[in-house]
Order: sequence, then structure tokens, then C-alpha cells
Amino acid sequence: MSVKTNAERLVSISVMGQIASPAFPGLPAMPYGLTADGEAFLLPAYGGIVYNVSVGDSAFGWLADCIHPGVSISLKDDTGNRGLNVLACVGNTAVVMTGSAAGARGVVTGKSGRFSEHVIIHFSKADREKMAIGDKIIVRARGVGMTLDAHPHVKLKSCSPELLDGLEVTTTDAGKLAVPVVAVVPPHLLGAGAGLTSEGGSLHIQTADKSALKEAGLDALRLGDVVALADCDSSWNHGYLRGAIGIGIVGQGDSPRAGYGPGVTLIMTAAGPHIEPIVTPGVNIKDIFNLPA
Amino acid sequence: MPLRTNADRLVEIAVTGSISQPSLRYPGYTLNADGVGAVLPGMSGVVYNARVGDPAFGWAGDHVEPGASIANPDSAADYALHYLTCIGNRAIVTSGLAKGAEGIVTGEHARLLVDFPPEVSDLLCVGDSVQIRACGRGIEFIDYPQIVLKKCSPELLNAIPIEAIDERTIRVPVTMELPIRIMGSGAELNPDFVDQDLMSGDRALMAELGIDRMRLGDLVAIKHADHRFGRGYRSGAVTIALCIHGDSVMIGHGPGILTLMTCAEPCIEWVIDPNANIANYLNIRELQ
Repeated sequence: MSVKTNAERLVSISVMGQIASPAFPGLPAMPYGLTADGEAFLLPAYGGIVYNVSVGDSAFGWLADCIHPGVSISLKDDTGNRGLNVLACVGNTAVVMTGSAAGARGVVTGKSGRFSEHVIIHFSKADREKMAIGDKIIVRARGVGMTLDAHPHVKLKSCSPELLDGLEVTTTDAGKLAVPVVAVVPPHLLGAGAGLTSEGGSLHIQTADKSALKEAGLDALRLGDVVALADCDSSWNHGYLRGAIGIGIVGQGDSPRAGYGPGVTLIMTAAGPHIEPIVTPGVNIKDIFNLPA
Repeated sequence: MPLRTNADRLVEIAVTGSISQPSLRYPGYTLNADGVGAVLPGMSGVVYNARVGDPAFGWAGDHVEPGASIANPDSAADYALHYLTCIGNRAIVTSGLAKGAEGIVTGEHARLLVDFPPEVSDLLCVGDSVQIRACGRGIEFIDYPQIVLKKCSPELLNAIPIEAIDERTIRVPVTMELPIRIMGSGAELNPDFVDQDLMSGDRALMAELGIDRMRLGDLVAIKHADHRFGRGYRSGAVTIALCIHGDSVMIGHGPGILTLMTCAEPCIEWVIDPNANIANYLNIRELQ
């Protein structure tokens, strides 16, 4: 490991969720969402077992609203679900405990925010075939509480020791934490999730303005890509602050809604210039965790 | 001359709520940007000493809601209260010591915000019923259909000195312009429900741009903000909005900015006018 941490003191603890069903509002509400231009759409959104979208695939182009790759879990009990959503870390091992896929192992790849609050897990497509909505999955949560010995101003969130290892972070001559990322998201393209907690949930890259998206070099993002968030302080919630910087994982796909787009799971933040993103093509957790197809 | 609207076709309908009780979730701390917790008042109830026209910044409080905060305990009725009420609508106290007194709707946060004269506020009790004569949903500029109006009562539109510039463009007085990059919490909600906070965490920027001089009730302009069907970034879009609640210590939060007018193209110009405040336009009180 290139930077020292307190990882050997971290507690490994169970948090449980069940495979969540896709959900729609009850009658007489209409099932439609509205695009940024006001057109009604009816598409799959969060939840369920997604058989054909995985981490490593494009974040764009799916006929879906913020689709979660792989399997989404949550717990009906609200406080229990917060425990799951906060303590699960990207890179943690998840184990199926019930049903035909019992014993299958997966990896936590992201979290979703307000209105769904799921933990998103990669399982092999073969394992997904055996699963049922409602199956219980245990996440062996480990990572909350982790700090970097030489970088006290960098806060880690939803970050497992395995993710930190795999990111191959280094310390620059100036003492900053250098983190390889595929792109840097400018603050005017950070949308839904602002002001909400950074210990779980997601902060969305907004994509209604396609030329602004292209200009920022964000139009080819893949699910699982590591990105930097410019002028974004996520110390407790996500918010604007010049010089602050965050690092996150693209956890969910694009959205046709205003203010929305690929959702980012925050893994690091510093309120000052203590993180240096190094733009490097192809930095994706599919490779970091060697996720099975 | 005011711009032509379809106000004569609007329906005026009663919705009701009651004065809310401030509530805290144990242990009640709000975290500031440094992670320090404090217990801060501001939301719900009757705020006696903050009214539209007062500063939005500087209170020893969080998300200060000026005047009386009204909610309906029935969820569906509460959504009706939220979706039908417009800024400038009349509110009438229908129970308690202030029964019959009138106020004016000045904002919509998690509750509807109503300004009453101080002598009426003194008589209000938590739980007192307040009925609002909701009118404004469906209102349009007849000659500017590309400009979407939200929560504008006919009285508010008549009172703001809006100018017709050409066949595509109008001009609206505002106290200041906000940069799109500081628009924060509320981006996840639909733009017909409550407000979106500006993010005041960059205190130096607030001072540099004079945003920290914002008052409750101020009209503001946001360039590149398209609030027609969400709250998002679109180059060239313009949104005119209203400051409805006070500043916050929380990251990603700040004064509440409620959408009044929005267009996807640059069809709204603005002129800076320190009097562009609803306390002035709705004859609520004289600006200091």
C-alpha cells in the first residue's frame, strides 16, 4: 500500500438488505416521469435485479432512469436501511444468504440516494439468474472510520481498504493525495444530491445540456469509473466550495430528468486543496476488483 | 402596463393548514461545515422577529422561515396546499384568537409561509387554522408562452414592474444575480415543490458577490438555470426566483430560492433594483 491507514483497526460488521423490487407510485398517480424538456417517459428505474447492465458498461444510452447495474438491496426498516446505506463501503464483500443463489459472493459498487437509498452490488450474470427479489444479502461492511495517516484533511466515505489499495493513490511532493480519475466534473454540472448526506446516497452529474457534458469530457463515462468533483466539499453533505475536491465512483446510469444523470458514490473529500486528481483513462472499479462478467 | 395574462380564467380555491409546531429529532444538532453541531431554531411555528424584507443572512438560526409556517397533517391535503398555493395569495385565520385576520403567502418551504402583521402574530397559536385562497396555478403570459410561470399569483405579477422588451423577451427587476454553480439542495425535487437552496458555504464568494446582503423576499436571477420540469443546468436558460427562507450552516444549503419564472432560452433579461422585494411589491412593509 502506498499510503498508510488505520485499516487494521477497522471493524468488520454485518449489514443486511433484501433484493429490492422496482417500485412505482400508487394509483391514481401516473407512472410517468418528465424529461428535462417536459416530455413524459415510462422507463425502468432503480431497484431489482438488472440482468444485462453491469459495472464496466457505458453509463449512457440505456432506456432507463438512473439504472443500477447488477443487484439493488435495501431494508424496509428505515433506521436499519440507514445502517446498511451508511456502513456498506464500495469494495465490501456481499454474500447471498437465502434463496437459490445462497452462498454467491458479490462486491458493493455504489449507493443510491433520496427516494431509493439502495446499496448496489455486482454479482456475476450467472449468479443473477438464480436470484429472487426479497433474497437476503449480507454485506460484510468495513471501511467507515478509515483515515489516512499522512493526509488528515482527506475524509474517506464509503471507501473500503480494498478500494483504497486498488486505486493506487500516492502522495505528491507537495504532500497532496494523488488519485487517478478518468475525468473531473465541473461544479455547474453537479445536480441532485447537493445538500444531502455524503455518508451514503449519490450526487448526480446532470446531463440535460449535452454540449456542456461533452465540453467537460463526461459524455463517455462508464459505470464504475472513478471521477473527481471540482469545488465540491462533501465533508458532511455535498456543497459548493472553491478549492474543495471530491472523488467518487459512477454508480448509476444516466437519466432523462433535469438535474439528474449518472449518480456518483462519494469515496473521498477534502475541503481544501489536499487531493490532486490525475486524469488517467480507464480507471474503473471493474478492473480494480476484477469483477466477474 | 402589465403584461397580458390569462388571470381572468384562473380558478380561486380554498386550501387549509394549521400553524405548525417546531420539531426536533433528538439530539437536535445541525452540523456546520466544520462538523460542529449546534441546536438552531428557525423552521416551523411563528417567527416573530423575521419578516420578508429582513436580512436572509446573519440569523443565529437555520433555514429561518419568516412569519407563520402552515402545514396540513393529512399528507394528500398537504400536497394540495403546496401545489395550489401561490406567492401573494391571501390567507385568513379561521380559528383562535386571531380568527378573521388576513395575511399574505410569502413562500413555500416544507411548510407554507404566511406573513401576518405583528399584532396578528401575537395572537396566533400553534394549531390555529389558516385558510388560503389559492389562485395562480395555470397562469401564463399570453404573449410569452415560452416563459413558464410557477406559483405567481395575479397580484404578484401585477405588482412587479415587468417590461416587454420585444416579442420574445421581457425584463424583470431583481436585487442580484446568482451563479448557477452555487445552486444546491432541492435539485432532487420537482420544481413545483418548495425551493432550492443556494449553497452559501463559500463565505468569501458570498461576500465578493454581495450575495450575503440578500433579504428575505428578494427577487433574484439565475443564468443557465432551467426550472421548467426540474432544476437543472442549461446554457442560456434563465430563472427568476424569490428568496423565501434564511441562510443555513449546513454544507450544500443556504437561503431558499423559489422559482417564479423560467425559460429554456434567454428570453428573460433583468435589471438590478434594490427595491425588488415582495415586501415592497405586495405592500407588506417598507424596506429598511
